[in-house]
Amino acid sequence: MNKTLKNPIVYILFLLPTILLYCLFMGMPVIQAFYYGFTDWDGLNPPIFNGIENFREAFTDSDFWLSVLNNIYFILFSIVIQLPIIIFLSLLISQVKRFKAFYKTAVFIPSILSTAVIGILWGFIYEPDSGLLNQFLALFGVEKIYWLSDKSTAMISILITNAWQWTGFYVVLILAAILGIPKDLLEQAEIDGATNWNKSTRIIIPLIRPIIIVVMLLSIAGAMKALDIVWVMTEGGPFGTTDVMATYMIKEAFREYQYGYGNAIAILIFIFTLVITGLFQWSTKNNERIEY
Amino acid sequence: MKKILSHIILMLYILIIIIPFIFVLFSSLKENNIEIVTDPWGIPSSLHFDNYVMAWNNAKIGTYFFNSFYISVIASVITLGFGAATSYALTRMKFINLSKFFYTFILFGLVIPTGSLLVPLYKLITDLHLYNTHLALIFPYATFALPVSIYIICAFMRAIPSELEEAAMIDGLGALGLFTRIVLPISIPPLVTVFILNFLGNWNEFVMANFYLSSENLRTLPVGMVGFRDAFNTNYAQLSAGIMFSVVPVLIIYSILQEKIIEGVTAGSVKG
Repeated sequence: MNKTLKNPIVYILFLLPTILLYCLFMGMPVIQAFYYGFTDWDGLNPPIFNGIENFREAFTDSDFWLSVLNNIYFILFSIVIQLPIIIFLSLLISQVKRFKAFYKTAVFIPSILSTAVIGILWGFIYEPDSGLLNQFLALFGVEKIYWLSDKSTAMISILITNAWQWTGFYVVLILAAILGIPKDLLEQAEIDGATNWNKSTRIIIPLIRPIIIVVMLLSIAGAMKALDIVWVMTEGGPFGTTDVMATYMIKEAFREYQYGYGNAIAILIFIFTLVITGLFQWSTKNNERIEY
Repeated sequence: MKKILSHIILMLYILIIIIPFIFVLFSSLKENNIEIVTDPWGIPSSLHFDNYVMAWNNAKIGTYFFNSFYISVIASVITLGFGAATSYALTRMKFINLSKFFYTFILFGLVIPTGSLLVPLYKLITDLHLYNTHLALIFPYATFALPVSIYIICAFMRAIPSELEEAAMIDGLGALGLFTRIVLPISIPPLVTVFILNFLGNWNEFVMANFYLSSENLRTLPVGMVGFRDAFNTNYAQLSAGIMFSVVPVLIIYSILQEKIIEGVTAGSVKG
């Protein structure tokens, strides 16, 4: 009878389509990236093997490092500025009784919408002449600001849009963890006379430390992947000041026809992401599971 | 009393989220750019629903909408079918060591930053002569969604008690029958979650659609709208109507299935 679930033909038939797609459209590109990354190739003529020349070029290419720096800004912004706001909002939602479900549902909305559409939407807001933001600031006598075309404001404008899209997503993650804390633990604290502030900082935040670390990890991974929002809002401009690694890769490959170099950058994105998330996980290792 | 302050802060935040949508909704009903520019906060003087008709027909939003819709559905169906079959083989069939290997192998896909595959994948797409066809999107969409889908479906299928299968086997069902008659019907909840998540992801995808297609008529909704925005002499009222065509279906799905969507998105991401 047990033979039914040991039918090798059914097993193979059920696995094969997935494995084929997976190997072809994920496995092959990974292997090809590692091959073409070590070649000088314009995408048309046969690729010429040139060893680590592309990587040497990347390490001396100041435009590439500018794009790396922008990925780091993404990370810093999400951890230093966004995360405290996320925790604060989650705590607020967890403590109110009315509208709790409404708040949760509403804050999540931007994260399920198309980043391209959000880029267009915020383009309206940042529009220098008629945009909502400048019109609003004009009420306070602030002069016209060219948000997306001024070198000094373009990056921060993108970071704010990105934060607007993803804050609610992380709020919902953290909120679920807060609501998962056993009630009697918090009630006990209240009986002992803890204020809301004390309850939050001394009990809730330490208890949800694991999920906060997950949120930080997801933010880092998200920051390293940042691409559509930059492409839609500025295409990396003005003058490459908002380029992130992925947009720089695209420009080198599809606009400069440096496919070999583009693939080398793809490998670097891959390695940098693994190293940063690995380092982060290692540094938070003594992060024991919390049992109630 | 303290709660009131909490509500004020939260309502302010909700306002920050909603204002851009209200602005787009109002703009989509305004007469022209002049009305949008001179009175951006104002309620439309009269409701110009013709913007929607114009956007749908003249600005080709209708074509883009249809393209996005059928590409998203086909890719999600492929992911769902392949993912469910694979999850069944991995969790219910008795090839334990092989299954462990394949499961780890497939979940490794969660670690790969898919954006970095954009350039090498372009080469593969052109080699397979898929460039500028919708298959250039359908295959990568279906594939990239497999790891997380299989993760979610496996988690559910692993928990199905084996007594159910044993009873069905006594009734003479084979491995295939067990899958279609017993396991699939029980697994509908995670399958719905996976389908909706993948549909939304595909519906919203921009980068591949932007670089793997060149004909205007093949564009998907996000690409079409960015193109519309970048076109000379943009009509903002129609562009806003276009945005509504992209956003409203997502909001409708969300309003019906919010619990499933939230649960699925968060479960998938925490693993990844």
